[in-house]
Amino acid sequence: MTATLVKLAFAGIRSRLLASALTVLLSSAAAATIVLALEVGETARDPWQRTFDAAHGAHVLATVPSRADARTIAALPGVAERDEPVPSALASVATGGGTERLQLAGLRSAARVNTPVRTDGSAPPTDGIVLERSFARALHLRVGGALRLSAAGGPIELPIAGTAVLPSQARYPRSNPGLAWVPRSTLARIQPDRRRWSWTQAIRLADPSAAPAFAARAVAALPPGAAYVATREDQRAEALREAQPLQIILTTYTIVLLIVVFAVVAILVGARAAAQHREIGLLKAVGLTPRQVTTVFAIEAAALGLVAVVVGFGLGALLAPRLTAPSADTMVGSPASAASPWHLLAASVPVLLVLLGSVRSSTRRSTRFSVLHALQSGAPSHARRSRVARAVAGAPLPLPVTLGLKDLLSGRRRALRLGGAIAVTGAAIVFALSMKASLDAQAAGEVSDVTDELPALVYTLDALLLVITATTLVAIALLSVRERIRDYAVLKTVGLTPGQVASSLVGAHVALALVAALLSIPIGIVLYRAVYAIAGGDAEDLVIAPWWSLALVPVGTLLLVAAATGLPARLATRLPAAEALRYE
Amino acid sequence: MTPVLEARGLAKTYDPGGAQVLALRGVDLKIGRGEFVAIMGPSGCGKSTLLNLLAGLDRPTAGEVRLDGERIDGLSEADLARLRRRRIGFVFQFFNLVPALSAVENVELPLLLAGRRRRDARRIASELMGELGVGGRPAAAPAELSGGQQQRVALARALANTPDIVLGDEPTGNLDSAAAREVLGLLRAARDRGQTLLIVTHDARVAAAADRVIALRDGLVSDKAELQAPRPVALPFGSDRGA
Repeated sequence: MTATLVKLAFAGIRSRLLASALTVLLSSAAAATIVLALEVGETARDPWQRTFDAAHGAHVLATVPSRADARTIAALPGVAERDEPVPSALASVATGGGTERLQLAGLRSAARVNTPVRTDGSAPPTDGIVLERSFARALHLRVGGALRLSAAGGPIELPIAGTAVLPSQARYPRSNPGLAWVPRSTLARIQPDRRRWSWTQAIRLADPSAAPAFAARAVAALPPGAAYVATREDQRAEALREAQPLQIILTTYTIVLLIVVFAVVAILVGARAAAQHREIGLLKAVGLTPRQVTTVFAIEAAALGLVAVVVGFGLGALLAPRLTAPSADTMVGSPASAASPWHLLAASVPVLLVLLGSVRSSTRRSTRFSVLHALQSGAPSHARRSRVARAVAGAPLPLPVTLGLKDLLSGRRRALRLGGAIAVTGAAIVFALSMKASLDAQAAGEVSDVTDELPALVYTLDALLLVITATTLVAIALLSVRERIRDYAVLKTVGLTPGQVASSLVGAHVALALVAALLSIPIGIVLYRAVYAIAGGDAEDLVIAPWWSLALVPVGTLLLVAAATGLPARLATRLPAAEALRYE
Repeated sequence: MTPVLEARGLAKTYDPGGAQVLALRGVDLKIGRGEFVAIMGPSGCGKSTLLNLLAGLDRPTAGEVRLDGERIDGLSEADLARLRRRRIGFVFQFFNLVPALSAVENVELPLLLAGRRRRDARRIASELMGELGVGGRPAAAPAELSGGQQQRVALARALANTPDIVLGDEPTGNLDSAAAREVLGLLRAARDRGQTLLIVTHDARVAAAADRVIALRDGLVSDKAELQAPRPVALPFGSDRGA
C-alpha cells in the first residue's frame, strides 16, 4: 500500500509542475534563511581562532587604571606567560565629516602576548602609526597616507605605517573607539598626562580553561570597578557578535517566509484537493481511507520539502561566508562555510512541519465528503457564504468586482491565506524602507556600524518575497480560473462581457490586496521597531520610512497584483462558453 | 413575417485531437415569435451544439444565425454578451447557478447587468422568485436548495429581463417527475406570455407541450412536426414586472 501511495504522490508532483516548483522555491528560500541564520554565527569562528593563534592571544586581558594594578594581576597564581603592560590613551582623529575617537596603544617594544598581527605595511610601529584594519577601512585610510590627531600641544600628523588586527578587538565602528598603535614616546606627546592613561595586561595561563576563575580573582584583587577583564571566550564572543544583527534579521525573515510558505502551500494543496474532489472520491471508492488520501498529499509535500531543504542548505552554506565577510576585517583569513549537518536538520524540521501542517489543514475538508457526494459533483460547492462576502454584497462597488469578491471570499480560508501572504510581504517591504530611512538619516560622513551586506541582504530577501508573492498570485489566479471555468461560462451566458469577467477576477484580487497592503504598513512598522530594539539599536536613531515612501507599498501592491492576475484573467475570457459548459 | 430566430446552413465541426467531428452539417431552422419548439434526437446528434450556436455561446464553422433578421454570428464576444443579457435567457440541465451567489443574487444578476438599480433588481428578483414558488429562501446558497428549487431559480434568472427568447438545454433532465412537471408548467406559462421557447429535450412530456418538434439526427434536421395547439395553462406571473 505504501508503494501505491508514493506512486500516487509522485504522479501528483509530475502533473502539477508549476505548483510543485513554487512549493520548492518557497520552501528552499525559508530553509536557506534558517541555514544562513545558523551559519553566519559560525563562519568567523575558524578565522578568529587563526587570528588568536597568530597573535599569541591572551587567555585573560585586563584593562586597569595603573601600571601597579597591572602588575598586581600579573602576579596572581596560574600565570604561564605575561607581557609588559601596555599603556593607552584616547585621542581624536579629524575626518572629513567631523572627529572620531581612537584608542592609542603605546608600544615600547614588540608585544609578546596579544601581538598585533600585521596585515599591511609595518608593525609594530617604529615610526608613525599602525591602524587596526577595520578602523582604517571604515575611514578609508591607506598605508602611506597620514592621520591628523589632536594632541595636548596642538595637532599632530602621523604617517600611516601599516594596518594590523588583534583578536581582542571587534570591528569598528561597532567597537568604538577604534584602535591604533604608536611608539610609547608618541603616546606621551599626544597625551602627556599619564593619569589619563589606562594599562592593558595580557596574560596567558598554564590552564586556559581556568580563565573565568582567574578573571574573577583579578577583579577581586583590585578595588571595585577598577579592572575590566576579558577572557578568551569574551573576546571571541565580542568578535563574533558582528553576526548578531544578521541573525536577528534572518530569523525575522525566516518567520516571515515560513508564514508565507504555510499560506501559499495551504492554498495550493487546498486548491488541488478541491480540483481533485472527484478523484479523491474515486480513491476513497477503491478503498483508500481519508487518512491515506491525506498521506498521498503529505508524501508529495514532504518530497518537495526535502528537495527544498537540500537546495536551501546549499544556498545558505554558500552565502553565509559572503554575508559575514565584513567581520574578516578584524581577522586573519576569510570566513568559511560551517556546513554543519545539524543546520540541515534544523532547517528540515520547521520547513517540513509547516508543509505537513498546511497539508493537514487544507485536506481535512476535502477528505471528509462522502464518496457519493464527491463522485456526483465536480468540485465541492460553497455550502455557505462567509459574512464578509455577504457584507461585500452591500458595498458600492462595480458589479464585476462585487461578483469577483463574493467568489473570492466564499473560499474564506484561501482569501485569508492569500491576504496574509500579501500583508506579510508588504510588511517586509515597510521594514526595508524604514531601514533605508534610518541609514539615510545618519549625518553625512558619520561612520555606520551597519555593514553594507545587511541592507543588501534585506533588499535581496524582499525581492525574493516579491517574486514569490507575484508567482503565488499568478498560480492562485490560474487555479481560480481552472476551478471557475464553468462559472465564468455561466456568467458569460447570463450576459457578462469578457472584459467584465476579467475585471471580476483582477478587481477582486486587487481589492483584497489593497486591504492587505494597508494592514501591512502598521505590521511592518511594529516589526521594524521590534527587530531594531532586539538588535540593540539606539531608540533615538530609529527612523520610520516617510509617508510618501510607505504609500508606495499599497500602490506597488495593486500594480503587482493587477499584473500578476491579468494574464490568468485573459485566459478566463478566452475559452468559449460552450466549450467550458461541456465540462459538466 | 420575419422569424425571431433563424439558422441558415448552420454547421459546426470539432477537431478534438486531430480527428474531425461533424456536430452539425448544415441546419436550416426558423423559429417564429411566441413559438414553443422542442428539439429532440439521440445523444450526440448535435442538439446542444445547435442551442449553443443559436445563443452565441459558440461560433459556427459555416452558416448564419439571425436574430430578428440581423446576423449575430459575427458579433464580438462582448456584443454577444450584451445581446444575451437583454434578449436571450438560458436554462441548463445542471442548473449552473453561480455557487458564490445566493438564490436571489443569481436571479438579480441579469437585471443588474442590464443596468437596473440594486433596489429595483432585488425587488424584481424577489417577486419573480415568489411567482415561481422559491421566494421563501432568497438568501439560500444554491447548494442548500433541492434540484427542483435550483431549476426554478435558474428559470427565474433566465426570465428576469423578460427576454424574447428562452433557450433550454434539457431543463427537466436532472429532475424528478414532480419537479419536471412544475418546470414544464413554468415554461409553458412563459410561452403564453409571448416569449419564444426553444428547448432541447429527451422528455416526451416536454415535446408534447411544444407547438413544434424538430428532430435532429447526425447533425441534420430529420423531421419537423407541427403539433396541436397547446393546452392553456394558468399564468404564474403577471405581464408587467416593473420594466
